[in-house]
Amino acid sequence: MTPSLQASGIYKSYGPVSVLKDVSLNVAPGTTHAVIGPNGAGKTTLFKVLSGEVFADRGSVLIEGRDASARPGFRRVRDGVGRTFQVARVFGEVSVLDNVVLALEARAGNPQSSAWQWLGVRAPAALVGEARDVLATVNLERRADDLAGVLAYGERKRLELAMTLALRPRMLLLDEPMAGMSPGDRVEAVELLNRISQEMAMSILLTEHDMSVVFALADHVTVLNYGEVIASGAPEEIKASPLVREVYLGHDHA
Amino acid sequence: MNPNSISTTRRADIPIFAALLLLFLSVPVWADPGLVFLAGVALVQIVFALSFNTIFGLAGMVSFGHAAYFASGAYAAGLMLKGSDPSLLQALAAGGLAGGAMACAIGTVALRRASGNYFAILTLALAELLHIVISKSTMLGREDGLTGIVRPRIDLFGLVTLDLTQGTTLFYLLLVLAALFGLGAWLMWHGSFGRVLAAIRQDPDRAAFLGINVHRVRLVAFSLSGMGAGLAGAMYAPLAQLLTPEVAHWSYSALPILFCLLGGTASYWGPVAGVLVFLGLEHATRNIVGLSEIVIGATLLFVVLAFPGGLAGGISRMARRRKSVVRQVATRNPAAMAASKEVDA
Repeated sequence: MTPSLQASGIYKSYGPVSVLKDVSLNVAPGTTHAVIGPNGAGKTTLFKVLSGEVFADRGSVLIEGRDASARPGFRRVRDGVGRTFQVARVFGEVSVLDNVVLALEARAGNPQSSAWQWLGVRAPAALVGEARDVLATVNLERRADDLAGVLAYGERKRLELAMTLALRPRMLLLDEPMAGMSPGDRVEAVELLNRISQEMAMSILLTEHDMSVVFALADHVTVLNYGEVIASGAPEEIKASPLVREVYLGHDHA
Repeated sequence: MNPNSISTTRRADIPIFAALLLLFLSVPVWADPGLVFLAGVALVQIVFALSFNTIFGLAGMVSFGHAAYFASGAYAAGLMLKGSDPSLLQALAAGGLAGGAMACAIGTVALRRASGNYFAILTLALAELLHIVISKSTMLGREDGLTGIVRPRIDLFGLVTLDLTQGTTLFYLLLVLAALFGLGAWLMWHGSFGRVLAAIRQDPDRAAFLGINVHRVRLVAFSLSGMGAGLAGAMYAPLAQLLTPEVAHWSYSALPILFCLLGGTASYWGPVAGVLVFLGLEHATRNIVGLSEIVIGATLLFVVLAFPGGLAGGISRMARRRKSVVRQVATRNPAAMAASKEVDA
């Protein structure tokens, strides 16, 4: 089967600092793939290369088998790859509902975003209805009419996920989805992500620090250290690998 | 509550629009020809300022060179109105197209790499270049200006003839144009394109990862804004009947910035309020030599310090405060208070 996302031989350096060295990974369709590694291992840079925020110096990125290496971020979104940010970013000056409506309107090939809707002063009822449905999947329908700027951090993360889901991606890139969340929010978020990956048959690639989250979600784990892949495999293998224990899991997991 | 909301209705907009229309319609009834002329200038500046604010207040792009698009439109229309039997419609179309084309050209260069400060400086520099070209060009009258601009007669389907040499008739025509433009700009401001622009202002990277082509949307918005400024210039040409390179000078680019900051950039009506207050003050203090600038400067300073959101921001904040007082009174009822707390939690 064609991988949802395939990165091969990615090199990236910022000036003299080489951040990624020959990184390759495959995300199989419908699976959840976690990238872990200590701080400064290059996870976020890899994430930026995969989403099209920056381009690699060398190497290729294929989305569903098609070369996307030179495609900027907004085109990769149209190719079916949705992403969230490490620090949740939403449009704080408009309502929660409007954030999702905006995403629905931006969705490529949305029949409701045709030319005559361009001047639509009110979003069509169908679009608003769909936006409320998307908010319901992340349990935010109660906050629909509040300004997005006043949301608590965990809610903001969920709104960002809702906006990304509204784009109907076939693949999700989540940069530390649990960062800054309370333990209670984390449990809820793990359930939510499990539900999304199963019900919507979506491929997910995530970076995460919380190992309990990684092992609860991931089908496959890639470990980065100093910009290189040092291990890749099923969660049990990674847990058992002495090398990974040494460089990453450290004493508190030993 | 929020300037670009989809779900809330903007009930105040229709009364404001009607009140402005009535105010301008009545000007020729009670005012002398000098004031009618000034009201015509106000209409031109309203169109100019509204065009500017769609990129400044809505899309968050700072252009310091909007005089270039105003001047392009004014000179294009001026040239069209020099013949023996000129067509006003063609002159207006030429003005809008010239402003739009100039903005598209300058925007293509300035948006290529630059964002933020560099974009502002590039638009300023390229506009200044146009100013120099105009003041050296013989066809455009050099520093002396373009003269001999004719106010044409318009034949409306053979039924009525509008004689624009009459100041009042020209004024009413400008009012119709400004009202139509205002309606179009309102639709754009509140429509789905306006929502995309507001999103780009708040967080361009986030907008890009919704699949929005930020660069192209900015260029389209900038060109449309230039088209509006060009139309304002084309309205100005038959009104003034004399165009000097001053309309391309950087100080002319400062006008819409002042109007928007004075009136408030976050609201659609802000620039309109800015134009009316600014020109009103200028007119009221015109006979007091030297004081005019001081009064206008002091007013600007006061508004910027007292109302960070401009006049429109100050008014809507006062309205909100009154509303929240009403709510507080209502929630003194303990049952209602508990209910509202539950909603907040």
